[in-house]
Amino acid sequence: METYILGIESSCDDTSAAVLRDNKILANVIANQEVHKFYGGVVPELASRAHQQNIIPVIHKALDAAKIHKNQLHAVAFTNGPGLLGSLLVGASFAKSFSMALGIPLIEVNHMHAHILAHFIEDPQQPQKPEFPFLCLTVSGGHTQIVLVKNHFQMEVIGQTIDDAAGETFDKAAKIMGLPYPGGPLIDKLAKKGNPHAIPFPHPKIPELNFSFSGLKTSVLYYLRDQLKKNPQYIEENKEDISASVQYTIIEILMNKLRKAAQQTGIRHVAIAGGVSANSGLRQTMLQEQEQSGWKVYIPKFEYSTDNAAMIAMAGYYKFQEGDFAHQQVTPYTRYSD
Amino acid sequence: MKQVKRTFTEEQLTDVANHLLKDNPNKRIFAFYGKMGVGKTTLIKALCQTLGVTDIAGSPTFSIVNQYLTEDGESIFHFDFYRMKKEEEAYDIGYEEYFFSGNYCFIEWPEKIQALLPQGCVEVSLEEHQSVREIKY
Repeated sequence: METYILGIESSCDDTSAAVLRDNKILANVIANQEVHKFYGGVVPELASRAHQQNIIPVIHKALDAAKIHKNQLHAVAFTNGPGLLGSLLVGASFAKSFSMALGIPLIEVNHMHAHILAHFIEDPQQPQKPEFPFLCLTVSGGHTQIVLVKNHFQMEVIGQTIDDAAGETFDKAAKIMGLPYPGGPLIDKLAKKGNPHAIPFPHPKIPELNFSFSGLKTSVLYYLRDQLKKNPQYIEENKEDISASVQYTIIEILMNKLRKAAQQTGIRHVAIAGGVSANSGLRQTMLQEQEQSGWKVYIPKFEYSTDNAAMIAMAGYYKFQEGDFAHQQVTPYTRYSD
Repeated sequence: MKQVKRTFTEEQLTDVANHLLKDNPNKRIFAFYGKMGVGKTTLIKALCQTLGVTDIAGSPTFSIVNQYLTEDGESIFHFDFYRMKKEEEAYDIGYEEYFFSGNYCFIEWPEKIQALLPQGCVEVSLEEHQSVREIKY
């Protein structure tokens, strides 16, 4: 029997809805200006009021695009955390009432687990799926984790940032350079033309498998300030080299710990997930590692690496098969460990 | 008016955090002013440690607010309004629920929501002077 799952994601800025038939995406809609143009509304950039305005249009659009009727759905899966409470509540409240109205199961999904399970969405270009157990480096604007993935449900965080996230470091370095927010993708673009070894930024010495990025942020800040004193045009004249060096340092900090994790666990199947996995430097470094260290590397399609509801529906599908359903009393949580 | 002013190094961070809390025994809302990289998050991490937080206190720049639990099960809220463009966005996240919860609230980039800061909020400013930091509150 085919299973149709509706996924709802509202943990941070974007409201998203997706429909999956088993592990195949039928629709994956993210609320942006276009949805609003379609419905004639205006979008505030952030947060729960925007989610409230977005959620019904986005779900309509996903069901339309999937060409199914809501009565065909088998379950409603939603992000229950971690995230911004006000934002999570919108998705949770809608999912609860929708599942109750349709008389179908409600499934709660951990956003960070879903990022990892996005790898199992059917993709003809990447037919090979990660083999358990595997390691996943989940890197985004808000998170930096190394996760030991034992199966579709059991995941253990074996390393994480003790301060800033990797994506945040990209954005803040860009901000220091005067690039617009979010600057991560711009740094990636500029880095392609620069020398990654032009500026030797220091690496943090953090025990075990944890990361720290706030020291790098501060050294970029001070380095550029000192250079600007000597040459007010320094950033403008060297933005490619600065970008390449910052990007190289961030990637090396990530890769050093990932290599260490692979060594400690003896696991050779390694995946990346989260918004920063779209970074071309990180993708390239992972593929080099595959060549050199004999890793089997898994890189997600870009549209499943940033926050999206398809990954929520995918995680929901596995829980559906296990009959792991949520009660109506379930409440969103803001912290990963809850 | 700011009454306390002292300079400190990274080694003295715990000491500074202890003083800040002891000097303001009845205060729960602390706003931290200072440029990027001056050590706002680092000082808040030290405050959380002093208060017995068992989680890793990270940066909430992306998440806007982080919630930590202390050993006694008390919640502490750590805000970063860096990404906010308008004050209304603070209403959207329901800032009142946090600010008036009676729990500790540590706020980075409070200038973004200056008009919403409750009365009696402790305004802490951090500045960098060569190799030391200066704190005023």
